[in-house]
Amino acid sequence: MTKKPKVAIYWLGACGGCDEAIVDLNELLLDVASAIEIVLWPLAMDGKYDSIKRLPDGAIALSIIHGNVRNSEHEEMARLLRAKSQIVLGFGSCACFGGATGLANFCGRDSIMQWVYRDSPTVENPKGETPKPVSTVDGNTLTLPEILDHVYALNQVIPVDYYLPGCPPPPDLISHAITAVLEGKLPPRGAALAPQKALCESCPRNETKPPRIDIKEIKRPHEVEVDSHVCFLVEGVICMGPATRGGCGETCLRINTPCRGCFGPVEGVEDAGAKFLSAFASLVRATTDEQVQSIMEKFYDPVGYLYRFTQPSSTLGKRNKVRETV
Amino acid sequence: MQAYEPKIICFSCCFGWGYLTGRDVLSVKIKHWIPVICSGKLDSTHIMKAFREGADGVLILGCPDGDCHFQDGNYQTRKKVHLLHKVLVSYGIDPRRLRMELGTDPEGDTIPKLIQSMSRELRQMGPVKMTDHAVEARP
Repeated sequence: MTKKPKVAIYWLGACGGCDEAIVDLNELLLDVASAIEIVLWPLAMDGKYDSIKRLPDGAIALSIIHGNVRNSEHEEMARLLRAKSQIVLGFGSCACFGGATGLANFCGRDSIMQWVYRDSPTVENPKGETPKPVSTVDGNTLTLPEILDHVYALNQVIPVDYYLPGCPPPPDLISHAITAVLEGKLPPRGAALAPQKALCESCPRNETKPPRIDIKEIKRPHEVEVDSHVCFLVEGVICMGPATRGGCGETCLRINTPCRGCFGPVEGVEDAGAKFLSAFASLVRATTDEQVQSIMEKFYDPVGYLYRFTQPSSTLGKRNKVRETV
Repeated sequence: MQAYEPKIICFSCCFGWGYLTGRDVLSVKIKHWIPVICSGKLDSTHIMKAFREGADGVLILGCPDGDCHFQDGNYQTRKKVHLLHKVLVSYGIDPRRLRMELGTDPEGDTIPKLIQSMSRELRQMGPVKMTDHAVEARP
């Protein structure tokens, strides 16, 4: 019997949507499953961390890791899987850029804990209990993973070989990535297994876009009904398409929702938010400074828009845990 | 202990500022001076990178309103600055640390004065204290 390549699928700080996306491969999953040996996949099967620890280093051909690194358990598992794997695939926006929960970095751990366990109006916590890494109950010691003081993208904790962005990544790119690994037809390490150009390149609304866009008023999606063939930016609705990598299948655009940037920056760009800021500012049309100011005032929660999925890997927000622990 | 001296990165447009004085002469007088072909050439990434790498302030000098050699580069960057002010606050950077002045000074004599006046304000504010821990990554 020939040995099948070992594959691990693991979640760190994730919602589980990426696992669902793998399940959404449907029948193709059966073909994939017959070609590989899944050694770890908490969502779909029972497994023990010890069995991974016992494997020799490099025994796993591919680790598909999704989610960001938010607590000590995530960090430990990321390091363990890195040591045991030949290839690590950063899967989904959280692993690639830190993801939506990376916005927590704008608040800091302590203020979040205070809000969740003390200040929020729906909290009743007279003793002021908060989760602690070690606590004693009836003489027994209980442990919990410790929440780190920062949300990290995966490559800020361990070296990552390939990236597959998306929230979640679409099935066609997933099957393409898995096939590429199994057949050994991979691009140079460090590449994203997705198209390199911006979403606007493949956007069906691009055909009707005028040569020049003048935004005189910023509108939120619920304030205007945009025709299904009209560019959102023409209507003044913020759409991250110009600074976001394409390849998602334009699923949001097809249901008349502007791009929110889950595929992260295009090839060669570090900070998608900064690039979009420049692009967007150039589309705003006003004659006086006051007008510019009043238009920009309707850009509510700009960091929420610009860094919805990429705060931990943004120019001003990134932090490297690999360097901190060395 | 040495007095705190804010590090201000100054980007200035070649068409409006200091073009009659040799670049080597001015760069001795002005620390961290980066002449650019047009203030419109500046991207948000340049400004963020400056703060990332330890700037306490960024001063952009552009041509007077309606007087850009490339039509409206100064106007384009001014719009970016408006939005950047809103973004920097979230990272814990006071918007007063990013300033844009429009005008013209062929000899460039006023550039050190503008930097000095910004320095005075920044000295009172002290070094940048970013939210979260991005500050730790700064040199």
